[in-house]
This record gives sequence, structure tokens and C-alpha cells, in this order.
Amino acid sequence: MSRILRTSVLVVFGVIWLLPVYLLLINAAKSPLTFTSTTSWVPTDFALFSNIADALQLSGLGDSVWSTLLYALVSPAIAVLVGAAAGFAIVALRLKHGFAWFVVIFGGTVFPLQMVLLPLFDGYSRVGLFDTQLGMIIIYTAISIPFSAFVMRNFFTGVAHNVFEAAVLDGATTWRIFTRLYLPMASSALVAIFILQATFVWNDLLLGLTLSQSDDVRPIVTTLAGMQSTYGGAQLSTVLAAGVLVSLPTVVLFLFTQKFFARGLALGQY
Amino acid sequence: MATRTAPYQWSARGFIAPGVILVAVLLYLPLLWTTFLSLTEYNGLGDPDLIGFENYVEMFEDPEFVGSLLNTLLWVVGTLLIPVGIGLALALLTWNLPGGVWLRLPFLIPYALSGIGVGLIWSFILSSNGALDQALAAFGITDPPRWLVDAPLNTVVMIIAAAWQGVGVNALLFTIGLNSIPKEPLEAARVDGATGGRLFTSILWPMLRPLTAVVVGLSIVASLKTFDIVLSMTKGGPGRASETLALTMYKETFVNSDYGLGSAIAVFLTIVTMIAAILYLREQLSKKHEF
Repeated sequence: MSRILRTSVLVVFGVIWLLPVYLLLINAAKSPLTFTSTTSWVPTDFALFSNIADALQLSGLGDSVWSTLLYALVSPAIAVLVGAAAGFAIVALRLKHGFAWFVVIFGGTVFPLQMVLLPLFDGYSRVGLFDTQLGMIIIYTAISIPFSAFVMRNFFTGVAHNVFEAAVLDGATTWRIFTRLYLPMASSALVAIFILQATFVWNDLLLGLTLSQSDDVRPIVTTLAGMQSTYGGAQLSTVLAAGVLVSLPTVVLFLFTQKFFARGLALGQY
Repeated sequence: MATRTAPYQWSARGFIAPGVILVAVLLYLPLLWTTFLSLTEYNGLGDPDLIGFENYVEMFEDPEFVGSLLNTLLWVVGTLLIPVGIGLALALLTWNLPGGVWLRLPFLIPYALSGIGVGLIWSFILSSNGALDQALAAFGITDPPRWLVDAPLNTVVMIIAAAWQGVGVNALLFTIGLNSIPKEPLEAARVDGATGGRLFTSILWPMLRPLTAVVVGLSIVASLKTFDIVLSMTKGGPGRASETLALTMYKETFVNSDYGLGSAIAVFLTIVTMIAAILYLREQLSKKHEF
């Protein structure tokens, strides 16, 4: 097919693909006064920011933003370090039965999340972690570790072992070698994993729905789901504005880090 | 070298311990507990009563569960045909095209949205007299189907919403696959005059097969777990007509407090997911022998 034909087909489909985003944006920008459900396709006014402000006050979305930001930053950060430490133990320190231990850690991703929901809910209630930020951070960290260990093990396999041996000859401890040599070397892989896992945590619904209740603990997507079933009619533009607010960070992050993301995906699939 | 006692073993154990402990306590222990609970009658109060496989029998005798199973099957087939197919087409169209990266961008944006975000947008579009119905009315169609009410139409439109989200990432994966094809056989085929469909069937498709297996496997595994979009768009309704296994499991457990039955559904879902994963991995490995 000729280039011009290919390009025009892609442009037409691209525009069609963005129509739902267009509808979301123009309707999220309508003030409750001008919002009627009969003119979805026509923009009327621009009240996006006041709608977002309203959304932040309704149903505790404002509280959710901060706790979700906390989860999406802290849990993936811990997980990349724990995963990197595991990869370091297996590859650089040549842990005995290292591959078996790797399979143990990686096996954590193989099962659907549904298998762990109920015991977590039950166990969290018993030890006082239910509906706490600490509890959410712990589970998001645990969920993010297997993928992180997977990528980091792959990454460290590509590092020549005499790098490690030379550092030993210089008298460095394993801790020092890990923190001063291996971690800095792996920074691009660490960032790629961090982005992927932060996106996952930000977009999680199921764990939030199961393990939290109050506004200041509940992750933002879970709060949005609650808003969607509670509000409608003229308030719908406010709910749509909440949808824009919730989606914006991941879309922006994704577009700015597309190359990292693509590489991370390529690593993750094989 | 191999017989020398390995140094750093204690240090290595220290480095791997946090990962192993967190995964064991928060993922494996719950996993075992769910498997055990699936063999019990338990509502969260008192102690679980061991009842053997009764939950599993009850599960398959429940018409709602069978409906949910069929819906999940529809999701698996739908997400295989639509997002994987369009994703491949997009990758082929943008391949080696100047500005291809930019032309792919519109399709990638939905991928960064949460399932709830996608559900929110499409509920707005598909609700009665929503954006789609208004557009249809402009073309003189005044009696459109009730998109989110009639089954199985509601499942079909939700699959389309999920496809809208998933096409971009499949296109990205296929693009990575296309870019990794060695240049020589391609040049040779081009010199021999192979273009378009011929080039695709004789060179590109066979070379993409291992990647296709991965994309297909991922789609199957992901579609088996479909939850967010359905919860957001229909809540599994009307009644329970558009539930998927993941949603049925959630409802039995956290709405009806039937922990035993909910756990049994989770175990069933896990077994099906495992079988799908093993099948596609085997497929992928056996196909590799051809090269």
C-alpha cells in the first residue's frame, strides 16, 4: 500500500479512536448549569477546573489523591529495590539454587489477584492493617516485587561478573557493591519498572475495593468507581471531570516515557 | 571452580530474603488459605466447616455461574479477535512509515487509562440517549438498541470498550516484533518481488508467530480476569446478565459473604488461567522449533 494511503487510513482511524477522549474532555468541561444530556457532541463552556475542584470535595476524592500518590510512589520504589536485591543475590552473589528462588518469587504473578483477596481481607482485619495506609503500601509492594525481580535478574545477567570480582579485590563489601555499583548501573531498568508499577498501583481498583474503606485510605480509582454509582444527571460533568483528573497522571507519564515503557514491556513479555 | 564452596552465601540469603518473605506471606499464604476455604462453608464468623467439594458442585449447578462462565468465554474470544487483530493491522500499517510513531499515539492514549476511566467514558457514550444514540439520531436512527441493558449485547459493547483500550499496546508489541525481524530475508523477499499480502503470509506472519503466541496468551489471561470495566459499566447487570467470573467471585465473597463459594470460584478461575498460560507457552515453544 502506498505511503499516502497508509497515512490517511491511520489518520482517519486515529481521529475515530480519539472521539471518546474528545467527548470526555468537552463534557467534563461543562458547568452543571449548561450540562444537558442531549448535546454531548457540542462544547458549551469551559468549567473544567471548577468541576475538578467540585470533584475533589465530593466523596473524598481530594483525600484519595494524596494517599494514592503515596502508594504509587512508595510501593514501587521499595519493590524495585527489593527486586534488585533479589536479582543481585542470584546473579552477582551466585546464591545456591538461585533459579529455584527466582521461580518462587516470580511465581507470585502467575495467579489471578482473586486468589489472595479474601485471606488478605481476613488477615488484615485481624492484625489491624485493614483500612490503613500502611496495609495498602505493604500489599502494593508485595504485588510489584515479582515483576521487578524478573526484570532485574535479566538485567544483571547482562553485567560481566568480573565487575563484581574487581570490586571484591578492592575490598568492597557486598552491600557497598550493591548500592554503589549495581544499583547505579541499573538506573534505566529501575526507572522502567518503577513507571510500570506506579501506573499499575495508580490504576488499581480491586485491592482498594477490598482492603480499604475510608476516604483518606481509599485509592483514587476506587473512589471514582464509588462516585460513578452515586452521582448522575447534572453532577455527571463533575464525575467526568474526576475521571479526567484520575486519568491525567498516567496518560502524561505514559506519553512522556513511552520509550522506557516500550522497553520495559519488551523485557516483561519474554 | 565448580567444587569450590561458594562464597557470599550468607550475604546472598540476606539480599534475597525480603523478596521471598514478602511474596510468601502476602501472596503464597493467602493462596493456600483460599484453596482451603474453597473446601469449606464459611461466612467470616466462627470457624470454617470442611464440606469437601460441595462448593464446586453448587457452583456448576448455579445457572448464574454458568451464565458468568459463558460471558467470560465471550470476553476471551472477543479480546482475541478485536484488539489482537486490529493491533496487528496497526503495527503493519505504521511499520517503516515516516511519522509512524506519531500516528500510533492516538491508539496508545487509552491504554494509560484505568479500567474505571474507560468504563466511565463508555457508560457516558452508551447510556440511553447518550452520545452514541444522539449521533445515530442525527442519521435518522431513532430507535437504537439498549446497549447496556440487553444481553448479550451489553457484553459485546463492553468488549469493544476494552478493545478500544487494548489495541494500542498490542500494536506496540507487534511493532517491537516487526522491528526485530532480521533485514536479510526481508530484502531477499522484496528482491524476489514479494509485496503486500504475499510478503505478509510468507515472511512476516511466520516470523511474528512466537510474538503472536505471547500477545494471544496475555490477552487470554487478561480477559479471564475482566473486572473493572464490567463493574463500572453494568455492575454485572441487569440482574446478573453481564457478570464475568472475576465479578461473580467478588460478589459471592464480599457482597454475599459466602466465602467458601467465592473461594471455589477463585480456584476455578486460577485453574483455567493456568491451563491457558501453559497451553500458550507450549504453543510458543513448539513453534520456535520451526526456525
